[in-house]
Amino acid sequence: MGTLASAVAFGVVLASVIAIAAMGFTIQFGLTNVLNLSYGGIMTVGGFAAYLVTSNGLSAWYGLVVGAAAGAIVTLVVGRGIFSAYAHRGAKVFEMMMVTLGLGLVIDYGLQAISHNNVYEFTVLQSAPIKLGPIILTPTQVIIVGIGLALYVGLEALLRMTKTGKALRAMAADPALARACGIRTRQIVVLTWLLSGALCGLAGVVYIINSQSVGYTSGELFLPLVIAAAILGGAGSPGGAVLASLLMGIVTQVVAAYGGSLYSTAAGFGVLVVVLLTRPSAVLTKQANEELTLA
Amino acid sequence: MSAWSYYISTLVIYFGIDILSGISLNLQYGYAGVVNLAFIVFQAAGAYVAAATSLGPDTGAASFQHYIFASNLPFPIPLVLATLAGGALAGVVGLFSLRRMRRDYQGAIMLIVSLIALQVVTADVSLFNGSNGLTGVPHPLSFIPVGPLAYQWVYAGWVFVFCVVVYMAVRWLSRSPWGRALKAMRDQEDAAGAIGLNITVLRLQVFVVGGLIAGLSGGLLVEYIGAWSPGAWGYAETFVIFTAIFVGGLGNYRGVVLGVLLVPVIFLQVTQFLPQFGYPGLVDSLEWVVIGLLFMLCLLVRPRGILPERKPVATEGGALPFTEPGPLPYLRRRAGRPVA
Repeated sequence: MGTLASAVAFGVVLASVIAIAAMGFTIQFGLTNVLNLSYGGIMTVGGFAAYLVTSNGLSAWYGLVVGAAAGAIVTLVVGRGIFSAYAHRGAKVFEMMMVTLGLGLVIDYGLQAISHNNVYEFTVLQSAPIKLGPIILTPTQVIIVGIGLALYVGLEALLRMTKTGKALRAMAADPALARACGIRTRQIVVLTWLLSGALCGLAGVVYIINSQSVGYTSGELFLPLVIAAAILGGAGSPGGAVLASLLMGIVTQVVAAYGGSLYSTAAGFGVLVVVLLTRPSAVLTKQANEELTLA
Repeated sequence: MSAWSYYISTLVIYFGIDILSGISLNLQYGYAGVVNLAFIVFQAAGAYVAAATSLGPDTGAASFQHYIFASNLPFPIPLVLATLAGGALAGVVGLFSLRRMRRDYQGAIMLIVSLIALQVVTADVSLFNGSNGLTGVPHPLSFIPVGPLAYQWVYAGWVFVFCVVVYMAVRWLSRSPWGRALKAMRDQEDAAGAIGLNITVLRLQVFVVGGLIAGLSGGLLVEYIGAWSPGAWGYAETFVIFTAIFVGGLGNYRGVVLGVLLVPVIFLQVTQFLPQFGYPGLVDSLEWVVIGLLFMLCLLVRPRGILPERKPVATEGGALPFTEPGPLPYLRRRAGRPVA
């Protein structure tokens, strides 16, 4: 019983990391229709930015801010500078995905070149672990869950209670109609790049805080879990992404706790496969919807 | 002189194997529009099976490597098994991943399949010796009494026999009614379904045929280099072949051969001759960066490749059912300019 409880607790911690990334991914994907495979690379950029800040003696909180800013800026630059160039030439979703995969290679191996292919240790100040019955968590892990929760609540509030959020949701639902209604879709796309990029950078920082090291493959190895969660939760739905992240995080950690540590990550993907087989409507979308909406 | 001969024969062998990979991907994506970003997994399956079935029995605790399917089968059988393994795995993967969905979803799911497979094989040492991989695969053509250098050229010839056979077979297939059905499915999936083509079966068929070729290429590769490990089949390797067929020209087999010659052979080999600078490994990283940039540039500047797919000749009734052929039915570049 104790094993299960602590496995679930670790699962929730992992889920928080996945969820932060998956929320950004799903917003980006839902609004622009770009399945951005360079997202993992941009997460790593955020992670390295935070590493630079903290290795210069600032606290991990500054690392979070700088990581988020780095993610937002890089995402905006590639979104406005690169992706829209292809969109204007009429690239469809698949070609765009291949472009993001190529960009992912550029970012990943560029970081490998810059980081001299080293893995850097990243530790934040540790204090006494917190015990809740059989569950033992470090304060850092609790903070990670807190950050994830706060971001989810904040994002939902932004989407549901503000006018900008309403515009975002309108654009995700029907870009042409949103434009016809006078929503400035170009600005909304810029906002989407910034918002999703910030979440991406934050996720990168939180990920390296959790795994206590940063290397050029950090984001890339984590990206499949993020994509799986975003697809499972439904494109454009932060709530769905969070639920899917919880499911995948808990399954991964429970499998790991019961001896299958070799297969723990594969089990997380197994969830996606099972869903594909049993509930294909979760990922089946209209064929017609292959237009990119980058404005 | 013999060093050069050795080097060039090595290149020729890689060229042949990459042609097989390119043909496989081109059949799947260029003709049928099936996105196989897990290509390298099927090649790896062939390689592992060929290695394990020719290495001989795994001698238990004394052995330094562990693997399943351990046996010591005579010459052509491991290669046949490799081919079948690629096809069989493609059948299994295809059953759950080839549902009708957006192409980018499908690509992402294939990519995930590729990463899961890599993680499982790396982590589970009992499958194919984990991250160390298999080594010491015997040379299959060693019964031919020639020296090591001549053996290189014999093997290159052996690979090219397969290249020619597969090239002819696939070209014949893609001109057959089946190949035209694939193109119809690629260009207008709903319409193809409406005229009675079974989309699901077609997709699975082309996926398995591509898997067979991938398995064959893996078997040929491992029987040449003699070793295989997870380091050899990252997702980026699939991307290189994709870049090759995009650069060369999708849906055009000559384009595929050209692209394979340009990207994995010439481009990736030329960098071996560059003076090494920086710390060791820097050039290797930059090589991947440039491959990524090359793909992005190709899609921006020449999205149909150097040798584009030939337009189908118009038949009775005048207009074709679709306006632009090819898997990239886009590029309305500037108004007033006809799409070439």
